[in-house]
Amino acid sequence: MDIGLLSFIIFLPLVIAFILMVLPFGMKMTRNIAFVTTIVVFLLSLSIFFRFRLADYMQFREFHPWITTYGIYYSLGVDGFSMIILMLTTTLIPLGYLFLWKTKKSKGYWISMLMIQAGVTGALLSLDLILFYFFWESMLLPVFMIIGIYGTGNRIFSTLKITIYTIMGSLFMFVSILYLGVQFYNEFGVWSFQLSDLVQITTMSRTQETLLFFGFMAAFAIKIPIFPFHTWLMQTYSNSPTGGVFILSSIMAKLGIYGIVRFVLPLFPHQYVEFAPYFVGLGIFGLIYFGIAALMQQNIKRMFAYSSASHLAFITAGIFSLNAYGMTGAAFLIVAHAMATGGLFLLTGTIEYDLGIRSISGLGGIAKKAPLLTVAFALMLLSIVGLPGTNGFVSEFLIVLGLFKYNHFAGIISATTVLVAASFMFWMFQRAILVRTDNDVSKMKDLDIKEVVGIFGLALVIIAMGLYPHWFLYKIEPTIQHYLIDILKVGVGS
Amino acid sequence: MKYDDIMYVLPILSVGIGAVVLMLLSPLKSFSINRLSWTTLLFLVFAFFTNALNFGKVFSVMPFKDVFSSMIIIDTFSGYFTSIILAGGIVTVLVGAHYFEKMNMLRGEVFSLLMFSVFGMLLLVQTLDLLVSFIGLEIASISIYSLMGFQKNNLRRVEGGFRYLILGSIAGIMLLFGTTLIYAGTKSTNILEIAKFISSQIDANMILVVTGGTLILITFLFKIAAFPFQNWSMDAYDGAPLPITAFMASTFKVAIFGFILRFVLVDFHELKNIWNDILFYIAILTMLYGSFLAVFQTALKRMLAASSIVHTGYLLIAFVSISSIGESAATSIIFYLIAYFLSSMGAFGMLSYIASDDHVRVTYEDFRGFAHIRPYMAAMMSIFMLSLAGIPSTIGFIGKFYIFTGAIEAGYTTLAIAGILATFVSVYYYFKLIALMYFYPSSEMTNVPPLKGMPPLIIAVMAILIVWGGIGNTLISYFPGIDFLIDTAKFAYQSLFM
Repeated sequence: MDIGLLSFIIFLPLVIAFILMVLPFGMKMTRNIAFVTTIVVFLLSLSIFFRFRLADYMQFREFHPWITTYGIYYSLGVDGFSMIILMLTTTLIPLGYLFLWKTKKSKGYWISMLMIQAGVTGALLSLDLILFYFFWESMLLPVFMIIGIYGTGNRIFSTLKITIYTIMGSLFMFVSILYLGVQFYNEFGVWSFQLSDLVQITTMSRTQETLLFFGFMAAFAIKIPIFPFHTWLMQTYSNSPTGGVFILSSIMAKLGIYGIVRFVLPLFPHQYVEFAPYFVGLGIFGLIYFGIAALMQQNIKRMFAYSSASHLAFITAGIFSLNAYGMTGAAFLIVAHAMATGGLFLLTGTIEYDLGIRSISGLGGIAKKAPLLTVAFALMLLSIVGLPGTNGFVSEFLIVLGLFKYNHFAGIISATTVLVAASFMFWMFQRAILVRTDNDVSKMKDLDIKEVVGIFGLALVIIAMGLYPHWFLYKIEPTIQHYLIDILKVGVGS
Repeated sequence: MKYDDIMYVLPILSVGIGAVVLMLLSPLKSFSINRLSWTTLLFLVFAFFTNALNFGKVFSVMPFKDVFSSMIIIDTFSGYFTSIILAGGIVTVLVGAHYFEKMNMLRGEVFSLLMFSVFGMLLLVQTLDLLVSFIGLEIASISIYSLMGFQKNNLRRVEGGFRYLILGSIAGIMLLFGTTLIYAGTKSTNILEIAKFISSQIDANMILVVTGGTLILITFLFKIAAFPFQNWSMDAYDGAPLPITAFMASTFKVAIFGFILRFVLVDFHELKNIWNDILFYIAILTMLYGSFLAVFQTALKRMLAASSIVHTGYLLIAFVSISSIGESAATSIIFYLIAYFLSSMGAFGMLSYIASDDHVRVTYEDFRGFAHIRPYMAAMMSIFMLSLAGIPSTIGFIGKFYIFTGAIEAGYTTLAIAGILATFVSVYYYFKLIALMYFYPSSEMTNVPPLKGMPPLIIAVMAILIVWGGIGNTLISYFPGIDFLIDTAKFAYQSLFM
């Protein structure tokens, strides 16, 4: 059996993780090896980015029998949409490592991080639904470990909560997958769980399709989270270690969005169009609701958690806007938001590392002690807010445009709300970082060289994507057009 | 010809001879416990390998047909179950000897009783005659009653054993009574003859046969601890010494399923619709009740006992599906049994292994911080829990996939959803243990046995098998993976109808 590039990307971190688990290395050695592994994976994914052909949809296919009795295949592939998330994941993780470098956790931390990466990329590249489910559930375990072992506060309760919550969603999806498989078998006489096969099912009634649609959406809505499935979010984010929040917010939440576009959209195109208004509505509602919730937080981490949820709701609205602007913008915002939020959580982690967990009013005057951190912080905030010149601007602009096309009111509401998000972010920035107070922040240290490389690497990508969006957009546009024209049959809307 | 026949009966024969030999050896002062356990293993391993010789093909023979008058059948089906039962015996001896020795409970007759019960179970899966199956069931049960209560000065054990004895005997009587009624209706106790009778007179009044079948079904439901008959199991499982609980919860259940599958598939494949409605509700209630019990347990042993009721419920889902999709549902039961066997035997085995001299570690709290003291053992325990919960990359996931797909295929989507909900609840009580082991700093656990010797090795082998059964593929072409297991289960099913 020959091993393809995608398999290599998925399983290299996993194999290294198992080797590290057995070998008696110390924490430092483990961390270094893990870092090198992520760099290798990054280089591999870079080669995919450059060899990606615009004319085809699914590329770098790998196809091997796994459980033949039930037609389950080890089937991988990448298209424009998953490629951009793959690039995001493989870029973000090594940069994140530079920030987590000084955390005094044991080697299990780094092993878990590698395993999460394997699970995420596996889910991202699977084209067989059982294989996808396999990775989707497997990545839960290292997350479970990383929050439970290395978290703070009431970590055990929040670990069990997120685990049980997400497993509940996943199990609904699992039944739906099995149901689809059986329907395919009844119609065609052979077993298959291939995405490309399951979309051909024609025998299901609308009611059945709608139920399955919601089965799938349950899993993804919890992962993203879409209002009202967000109740796990706050506790988990505030009790997780920095690495855990970083992964959860910038990568795993995006997988929920990815799952909707990859599986729900082609499998249930009618329902996708039919229920789009509700999800756009929920998205815009979430944007406002989480925005207001963020405004009221006293803790930076909690504030970012809500603002992150607010942006994810916005992305959700974007992918359901049923036109090329909204969807391309959503794809772009996935990347932009992941980088900015990831960066912000990492920076907050540094502050927490130096000063301990504090509320916003307990901070202040950090700018004086740590100018580099302040600059980086400001850059990330600007991207979140959507200042022209950052990738946040391009994506938010595109989504707002898409929502305008979809419905004028939706456009107007989202356009104004995105601006509101700016105010509280800067208010927090002012109180926590800029203005000097009586609080003792003398322990605060500025970014060290590794962190500077990490964060300004991110900033570079953010600005590059903001100034030259076309470099990146042309890779995903054909895929998005394919979704809209061939699958949803709604046209690109322009 | 005769030589071949001997080869076929060699597994059960060697277990039977072993049981008698051990019984004779056990009073001898000069024969130490250690030697006794090795002798037992010798017989069991020998039986296991002679049985394994027939693996990988579909066959069905009746050895010594005249002598036994077609009462014994050796086919792929019985071979499959024989190997699970023998493996169960081997693990129980390995883990049990260690446990009993530490608990100062070890006496020679343990091994003989264990062998007798293995013998009874083998008889149960290798017979074609309802009367012989009654004898097999009783041999197995009586040995287990004694194993439960042989520690005479421990009242709790004696009580558990005695309760099980009374209730179990009633269940046994049901089997006998059912057999009588079926004999009255069909003039035979042979499963094949009964099948012939039923299919030749499908329109006739079958009241005797159906009543008899129902009674036998009740025995079955009792022995697997399905809903209205589950009450004994918590007390019995809790009262028995740990290795015996393991043996009962996993191996005995497998044997019972081996018997009832043959009986229902061969005899009642035209009539089995009659029980479907009631079994449908029994499956749901079993899962519901088991989940309810398991959630509130603080003792790990009781949790595993309660969760074994839930697993019975999953198996019943497939049992209901048999009526519309015979082959794949029956195969899924066979596959799930091996998945459940590995996971629960491993979990119970680990529990008995780490039980220390001064007190038995059985509650959740005893596992607080366990991962920091014994990381490998904690990892294995986690694998068993994940497999029981049906998380992907373990064999438990494939087993559940198989059963739920079958249920949906058979049109019982409600059952599949009920199963999913039970799975969801089970995540709580299985993950609680993992959380306790990993998320707390190490506590002052003393006397934890180190990771060496045979018992941990065999437990580790089971953990590896579980993971391989969950991810194994054709990566290594000649090494059996999931496909092999499913195919074997299919062969086992096909051999029933040869």
